[in-house]
Amino acid sequence: MPLLEIKNLQIEFGSGASSVRAVDGISVSLEAGKTLCLVGESGSGKSVTALSIAKLVPSPPARYVGGEILLEGRDVLKMSSRELRDIRGGLVSYVFQEPGASLNPVFRIGAQIKESLKYHRPAVANDVEVVRLLKLVGIPAPESRLRNYPHEMSGGMQQRVMIAMALASQPKLLVADEPTTALDVTIQAQIIELLGDLRQKLGMAVLLITHNLGIVGDLADDVAVMYAGQIVEHGPVREVLQRPLHPYTQALIRSVPDLEAEVERLTAIPGAVPLLGSFPDGCRFHPRCPKAQSSCSAQAPELASVQSGRRVRCPLWESPAVNRSSTLHA
Amino acid sequence: MPLLEIQNLKVHFPVQPRLFGRAKEFVRAVDDVSFCIAPGETVGLVGESGCGKTTLGRAVIKLIEPTAGRIVFEGEDIAGLTGAQLRARRRRFQMIFQDPFGSLDPRRTVSDSIGEALDIHRLASDAKARRQRIDALLKNVGLDPSHASRLPHEFSGGQRQRIGIARALAVEPKLIVCDEPVSALDVSVQAQIINLLQDLQREHGIAYLFVAHDLAVVKHISRRILVMYLGRIVESGEAKEVCRSPKHPYTQALLSAVPVVDPDSKRQRILLAGDVPSPIHPPGGCPFHPRCPVAEARCKTEVPTLRELEPGRQAACHLAT
Repeated sequence: MPLLEIKNLQIEFGSGASSVRAVDGISVSLEAGKTLCLVGESGSGKSVTALSIAKLVPSPPARYVGGEILLEGRDVLKMSSRELRDIRGGLVSYVFQEPGASLNPVFRIGAQIKESLKYHRPAVANDVEVVRLLKLVGIPAPESRLRNYPHEMSGGMQQRVMIAMALASQPKLLVADEPTTALDVTIQAQIIELLGDLRQKLGMAVLLITHNLGIVGDLADDVAVMYAGQIVEHGPVREVLQRPLHPYTQALIRSVPDLEAEVERLTAIPGAVPLLGSFPDGCRFHPRCPKAQSSCSAQAPELASVQSGRRVRCPLWESPAVNRSSTLHA
Repeated sequence: MPLLEIQNLKVHFPVQPRLFGRAKEFVRAVDDVSFCIAPGETVGLVGESGCGKTTLGRAVIKLIEPTAGRIVFEGEDIAGLTGAQLRARRRRFQMIFQDPFGSLDPRRTVSDSIGEALDIHRLASDAKARRQRIDALLKNVGLDPSHASRLPHEFSGGQRQRIGIARALAVEPKLIVCDEPVSALDVSVQAQIINLLQDLQREHGIAYLFVAHDLAVVKHISRRILVMYLGRIVESGEAKEVCRSPKHPYTQALLSAVPVVDPDSKRQRILLAGDVPSPIHPPGGCPFHPRCPVAEARCKTEVPTLRELEPGRQAACHLAT
């Protein structure tokens, strides 16, 4: 049994005619100790999907219209608020994008980490355990840091504190929602390294949410590429990045400048990411797709299994027009 | 003759310890920086947050008053100019900002935002000419001229950045300072804006000072790169050369930290310990030495100067060869 299994999840915001579907039929699963990465741009539904795992998207305004989220076989969407409180920060912990906004500015960081311990592991809710956690996430001289306020720390250190807090309950699943987006590249490299280390040391599963294709390869085992509320491609990370099958994945990889390649002109994707609620008919990527045919605007493609472990939402994936360019440009 | 020549530019901000009284300490946001930009050239300026790259970008076009140094633009030192004299020169240099949402007035239509620049510099003889110029500018940046009467909220992030570019182009500048122009945009839209900037440069011969933290983007668009750390330039040179064989240990670490898509990439990552130190109390000697993997004893005491290693290639490191 996988640790996490999301089956056909559908989440809507608003009601009646003005309702918009932010997540439309997401199905993924994650085994214990593995790392899955959800990649997508703004409005792709990746963050809403991630938050819904502990039912953190408040309802209302959100409505969980359909599907199941099975955590160790139990459906999160059917849990009572008491059960939810136990899994939040317990079985599932979160690390968010802006550590400065997630930490409480008026409490010392030691006290904030202890708060999680008090609820989930009251036997060890003491300074010794907090120091151990701070050491685990690579904070130098942790004893002297206990009494610091968040504003006394840099962004990278704050993110380490957030990770320490998330680890306090010894979660089986760590959801990291754009954990490095607000950080500088050298600090980003530190945090990525840390997450990789911790995953091995603690054997927890990681669900990484990012828009940055570059950090996917460093951490993930599997990757799911999202566009406009749907998964368009899913598979082992190496195969998807080196031999992407969906035109969106291909275009996305080509549109990012590569340090090692000499490209005169970037291959841009025309148009803009469609707004929530005004997704085009048929394939949602077809207005921007370089390979679109007339059938693409009429028929909404299914996410089909194409090779072992790979799924793609494009019926043309096998056609030579799509396949010819399906290698990395490097 | 270079279009722009910056000589020993310094921007120091006072740190006020109390409400009243004189400041005792200064943030040396830009500390003794010199460089040139040739006409029609793109110079990339990279560094981490807090290194002073945005301050430098703004000081160059006098949006921030420099503390010391010369800003020679087309042979004329503009560092000391103020008022009407400065305003007259502003036509020659413009800026594009990072946040396309924050840099447009939400209550003004696109044609008002772009037209304001034309009005200030009296570039349109009558209403008809003004209208035609705005239409041409919108077309130039890939927007539909019929959208001129719309408000900013009706546009996507990428389109708003195009409006910002059209506004900068309106006065036919020779230099545009681009401050993180794509980092607030969706990945799939960034390439459009980068391509547009390159097309416009080819068409109009504009020089860019391209300020960004993303080395891959900077390398792609720039002919030369300046790497900044704690208010100083630590390395400069041809973009390709700097990325192929970085000389300064900081540049080496910065390059190695850039994420790459290819999971089989052979690059070895150099992890830097710690954070960027406070620019109020920068470390003595080489400002990079506390994080430097190859620092020696003299790095703690002697400040390395930016010296030429090869023609067109400079680095501020005792050990660079």
